[in-house]
Amino acid sequence: MIKFENVSKSYSKGSPAVRDISFEIDRGEFVFLIGSSGSGKTTLIRLMIREEKPDDGTIWVAGKNLVTMPNWKVPHFRRNVGVIFQDFRLLPNKTVAQNVAFALQVIGKPNRFIATQVPQILRLVGLEDKMERFPHQLSGGEQQRVAIARAFVNRPLILLADEPTGNLDPDTSWGVMNLLERINRTGTAVVMATHDVGIVDSMRRRVIEIDYGHLSRDQVRGVYGLGV
Amino acid sequence: MSIKYFAAETGTNLWRNRLMSLAAIFTVAISLSLVGSALLIKQGVSTATAEWKGNVQLLVFLQPKISPTEFTAVEDQLHQLPAVKSFSYVPRAQAYADFRRLLANQPDLVNAVPESAVPTFLRVSLVNPAETRAVAAIFQGQPGVDTVNDNFSAINTITTVSNVAQTVILAVAIILLVSAAVLILNVIRVAIFSRRREVAVMRLVGATNSFIQIPFMLEGLVQGLIGALVATGVVILVKSLIGYAISHFHMHLLEGFVLTSHNLIETIAVIVVAGVVVGTLGSTIAVRRFLAA
Repeated sequence: MIKFENVSKSYSKGSPAVRDISFEIDRGEFVFLIGSSGSGKTTLIRLMIREEKPDDGTIWVAGKNLVTMPNWKVPHFRRNVGVIFQDFRLLPNKTVAQNVAFALQVIGKPNRFIATQVPQILRLVGLEDKMERFPHQLSGGEQQRVAIARAFVNRPLILLADEPTGNLDPDTSWGVMNLLERINRTGTAVVMATHDVGIVDSMRRRVIEIDYGHLSRDQVRGVYGLGV
Repeated sequence: MSIKYFAAETGTNLWRNRLMSLAAIFTVAISLSLVGSALLIKQGVSTATAEWKGNVQLLVFLQPKISPTEFTAVEDQLHQLPAVKSFSYVPRAQAYADFRRLLANQPDLVNAVPESAVPTFLRVSLVNPAETRAVAAIFQGQPGVDTVNDNFSAINTITTVSNVAQTVILAVAIILLVSAAVLILNVIRVAIFSRRREVAVMRLVGATNSFIQIPFMLEGLVQGLIGALVATGVVILVKSLIGYAISHFHMHLLEGFVLTSHNLIETIAVIVVAGVVVGTLGSTIAVRRFLAA
């Protein structure tokens, strides 16, 4: 599903962001990407949606080689990958339902399809009674669930999450994690960059640790701290 | 569904960013009004100059004691010269009447000159004003001819002034058009910048570039078109004001400054096309920056 082969990427300013990273993530896996701030987690996520191109190495996502992919094919590729962020990235002047519908509209889905999909996905994330609210009328956890609904409404094979609980309190974070787990159970691979020790330790999922741009650990059923 | 989506999106965007839209529309309107007026004036100057040039006349003054043979010789020659478009003989009575009418504000002079002292003359129109000198030379000193008067140097000055004026006006119009294009590009760039979140989300969920671009292009097109329509109104106003000023203030020198409705339609066509092109191009260039993958 996702395959990195000796991937390196450096920005013009500062040190290399990631160096010689290789790993493979299968269909339906749930993977934590951990490491301290600035270790390169976000760069890996950006590489996976081809927001960036690597300097070296090969990246395969959803059966596509992102290194050789021409720019015009990127939009269609992105429809197979959902992404959520720490800052939600909702449109403030659209309601919850409109935010989700927007994601379907702009990829040309027919209105009838949108009309059935949007309430269904909002029921899944538990926001069916807040469809007409605007993002600023929601709590942080609710906003992140709208973002998840938007990322998942297209039923992508992969869901990428860049510190989705970074702005949330522990209780709300667990609500979001439960939702991500349910999505994972439908067969969607979830890759979540985080440095939330509690969540990683109690979920016991595969952990890939990045340390100053190097892959320092790849462990099945891992925890945040070293070894078990 | 796409056409409906694009129309709705364009409409909401225009309304939501109405202040920015207004700024863009005003920029187009003002620039194109100036460009259009400049073009109109250029056309007016051009027709006026043509009119003045067409009015180049030779006045062949005849000696009081010209013999009929000499007179016929001059007439024959005028008939034969290809450079002569037409000519007419002005008899003494008419010459005297013209003299009295032209100098009506100087009664002393008019009264001092008896009708018999006014010379008769031939009024000659030429095919090409440039040949004035040559034709004048032919009749100068011919038996029975007193003097030949031409207004060539006056026409020459007018032509030079008008050529310079037309060049300057055209240069100003081009500079205005270029600054209009740059201004529109900037206004739309700011409008897009204020919506960069939306564009970012669109790219994130996999909207194609053309899909993202089309509402912005339509927005620029609508802004350019509305601006052009406003400018059209201004130009029509300018045209009627010029017409009014010329007829009302008896600016006889400017009588040739006629603006036909053909001139007007041509100018309006230029304005509308320029507005649409500048609006669409400006928004396309501006949005492209945000789509660089």
